[in-house]
Amino acid sequence: MPFIEFKNVERRYMLGTNEFYALKSVDLEIEEGEMVVILGPSGAGKSTLLNLLGGMDSPTGGEILFNGHDISNFKDDELTAYRAWNVGVVFQFYNLIPTLTAYENVALMKDVRRNVKKGSIWEKESEGVEVMDPALALSSVGLSEHMNQFPSQMSGGEQQRTSIARALAKNPRLLLCDEPTGALDTGTGKEVLKLLQQESRKNRHTVVMVTHNSFFADIADRVIRVKNGTVQSVEINESVKDAEEVYW
Amino acid sequence: MLFRKMIRDLLQSKVQFLSIFLMSFLGIFVFAGLDSEASGMALYESKYYEKTDLPDLWVQGKEFKDYDLKVIRSLPGVKKSEKRIQKDGKALLKEETDLQMNFIESNDIGKMLIVSGEPYNPGESGVWIDFKLAEKQGLSTGDILKMKLEGTEFEEEIRGTFYHPEYVYFLPDAAAMMPDYGSYGEAFMDIEEYPMEPAFNQIIVDLEGVDNTGGLSDKEKDICRRMGDAIASALDSDRIVATDKDSQLSYQTFHAEIEQHQSMTYMFPAVFLLIAILGIITTMTRMTSRQRIQIGTLKALGFTKKTITIHYASYSFFLSLTGGIMGALLGYNTIAELIIGMQGSAYLVPEMKTAFSVRAYGAIIVSVAVSTLVSFLSCRKELAPAPSETLRPASPKNLKHSLIEKSRLWMKLDFATQWNIRDIMRNKVRSAMGIFGVLGCSMLLFAAFACLDTMDFLSTWMYGELNTSSYQIIMENDTPYSVTEEYAKKYRGQMVQNGSCEIEVMGVKKSGALTVYDTGNFLHFEDRNMKQIRLNRRGIAMSCKMADTLGVKEGDLFRWHVLGDDKWQVSHVSLLYRNPTVQGITMTRELYSDMEYDFVPDVIYTNMNAKEELSDDDNITGVQSVGEMMEAFDSMKEMMYMMVYILVCAAGILGIVVLYNLGVLSLVEKHRQMSTLKVLGFTTGKIRLILQDQNTWLTLLGIILGIPCGMWLVSRLFSTMPESMDYIATFKPMSFVYTFAGTFALSFAVNRLLSRKVKNVDMVDALKG
Repeated sequence: MPFIEFKNVERRYMLGTNEFYALKSVDLEIEEGEMVVILGPSGAGKSTLLNLLGGMDSPTGGEILFNGHDISNFKDDELTAYRAWNVGVVFQFYNLIPTLTAYENVALMKDVRRNVKKGSIWEKESEGVEVMDPALALSSVGLSEHMNQFPSQMSGGEQQRTSIARALAKNPRLLLCDEPTGALDTGTGKEVLKLLQQESRKNRHTVVMVTHNSFFADIADRVIRVKNGTVQSVEINESVKDAEEVYW
Repeated sequence: MLFRKMIRDLLQSKVQFLSIFLMSFLGIFVFAGLDSEASGMALYESKYYEKTDLPDLWVQGKEFKDYDLKVIRSLPGVKKSEKRIQKDGKALLKEETDLQMNFIESNDIGKMLIVSGEPYNPGESGVWIDFKLAEKQGLSTGDILKMKLEGTEFEEEIRGTFYHPEYVYFLPDAAAMMPDYGSYGEAFMDIEEYPMEPAFNQIIVDLEGVDNTGGLSDKEKDICRRMGDAIASALDSDRIVATDKDSQLSYQTFHAEIEQHQSMTYMFPAVFLLIAILGIITTMTRMTSRQRIQIGTLKALGFTKKTITIHYASYSFFLSLTGGIMGALLGYNTIAELIIGMQGSAYLVPEMKTAFSVRAYGAIIVSVAVSTLVSFLSCRKELAPAPSETLRPASPKNLKHSLIEKSRLWMKLDFATQWNIRDIMRNKVRSAMGIFGVLGCSMLLFAAFACLDTMDFLSTWMYGELNTSSYQIIMENDTPYSVTEEYAKKYRGQMVQNGSCEIEVMGVKKSGALTVYDTGNFLHFEDRNMKQIRLNRRGIAMSCKMADTLGVKEGDLFRWHVLGDDKWQVSHVSLLYRNPTVQGITMTRELYSDMEYDFVPDVIYTNMNAKEELSDDDNITGVQSVGEMMEAFDSMKEMMYMMVYILVCAAGILGIVVLYNLGVLSLVEKHRQMSTLKVLGFTTGKIRLILQDQNTWLTLLGIILGIPCGMWLVSRLFSTMPESMDYIATFKPMSFVYTFAGTFALSFAVNRLLSRKVKNVDMVDALKG
């Protein structure tokens, strides 16, 4: 049984009286611990795919199975619990809370678990998985010295690393990254990629990265190409490179 | 962590949040202040009346016997009753001083609360006097007090001083407007000390089912009315008059004052709460829309909608709660103390302290609940969609052209006007809040000025229009008419008899003043619309307030009789006149004499100064000038000034806070537009003018709406006066000017201060991203 499975998934929007398909007839599978890169141009449906994976949106048709559970018909609170227990997100523009320090942004994750609905299937499946100590999470991304800084006092790379620390603090089974290097220079971007690859390799967490940069295909175990709301191809990369070796 | 986020967000947008905090604070500050004062007065009123057992009924008659008392006591529903003689006499001090004397057999109802000396015991000699009289006249226990009653002089040793529940508020005569305790007073003596043959003229009654707390309920009023009728029919209905607490000047005035304060309690906080709500709507809607991506992020990270909702609702919860608690504590310790302290000169009660009532807690709960709810509703828009949607920037508003934009006029308007109209139409809540802020500010300012106008007008009305004499010569009691007439001739004065009567319409009885006047040019009358009228020489006129209380109009019939006289008369209301302090009926001397009553004038109004000439005259109690009479207003004015200061301060704070808050908000939102205008070549001065224009429009509209609200507020304030008072809310033209100028100046100053920030708009910075 694949870790994640999309079966004939579609996401339709209504624009006035017109229907618009952001995703149509999408079938794909992802295995646990894989590093997956979703490639495609702007407007291809990459972010929609990521949103559906992360339970941030629901499909208008088809099934999405996560570890065998169909999440496509989940209600709001069930999706929230799904996100709280399983998903970590890294955004292109970091999306840190500007009025919280790096430490506090990471420590938010403790509040997430505290406030989520008790007794969900995810809670049972994640038994024994604790939220990381924020200081530990930050030091794992090399930010021990910046814990008390506000986002506005940090560079883009530092902010993105804080964002990764925040996502990792949850010990998520699925780490979603939306153009994580999009706002960074090459050097800093490479540092971020290294962190993500390390997370996948060392901790066997599934990492799904959305990008329009085709160079990133080299570091992925699986490459999914998307265009016009459909999956064009799914390739298994037989010769995965280290993030160090990628240039763009 | 979200709590920390809230604290930092609050600090970051401190101006906007400060206004919410201040409005919540001010609302509860004023509410708790006024309520604690009114509650304190009500509490200590009840305690005092409970302790001293204020009578429930006063039965007036000519000569009550033991048998009458027996009859009353035998009636079911009567708890206790006592008979006594109550007469107006004099204390022979340095000057003759009015002294209401009570000769009693026992003191179980309407008990004296001894301040100094010994308590009264039946059969004991001596006199007990009110402590204010003792204080002001330098009398103390053991002194001998000389007194005069109906021409008979006698003396008694002062055995003690007291407070008395029937004399919480009392005036020396019908002409007095404000109390000046100590320059007249009351005394209690045993019936054995009565210097003549005793003839009991009053029975006081304590009833079952009527307590001394919280005013008279409808049920208690009903009991009083039924028992009054029962007593009247058990004795001889035409011979006696039974009045309840509501007709007793002291009780009625004090209680009406408390009720007036209680009704004022709700008016002002409502304004502040309304503005706080508008502040919350504008601030929270903008804050959540600015934090849209943050909300999306929190959702994406797994925060539940409930947690995020609670987080944003907690901004207002936290502010309104801290504002409310601080307002309550400060209001209780400042306004309440200040106002209750000022009541001391108007009312004689042994103890009057502020009391924190349940209502203050209720007000905090209501304020917090409303603020939190409004905050929640304002955030709902951003919280409802799925995280994927919230993570995207909001799509631009689908703007439509308004009617004015489609009209031909639109193209004729200059750019600044078009820009401002669009800005107002597209930021309706923000604009409405600006208008409300100015409205509140001008309303309070106008109310402050109008209160002063009303007080000023009152003295002019009393002593410049209704009574145009310069002096009043007060005659000794029972001075024969022929003697008084001599004085009137000598000083070319107008004689007036002030008495009391009881009026009955459809079974409802009210005590009122009876004014009988001789020919002359000093007393004048005005109708409901303040137009001078001449009273019909053959008809009885009634004061408007009395007519309103009884529900009669011109031409209606009513029954009345002179207090202390059995004979009931049936008359019709020939005219209605307005008087600020004396409510009752008025007629000419001719008509009064035709009804076979003796005209016994007690006052002569004159323009001749007879002050020195009559200072030692045995027939004259005293001569008062208009100036002296107007001095009585001073304590009333002092209270009014205090209220005016509070109102002006509240208006100022309200205006500054709301306008500054909105100004900052508006500048932040228009930052990009202003920088664009700068890039296009608009000068800083021109941009400031555009901003000033919009501010001027909103201010004008706020003032135009605020002044009528101020007029309503003041009218409402003066309509809650006691039954005996009929004050007319007065608005002088200058008050309109001051309100307009004051509000405008404030608004202009705030805008000038803010529009200076236009200078700092950085074109490059603002146009980035």
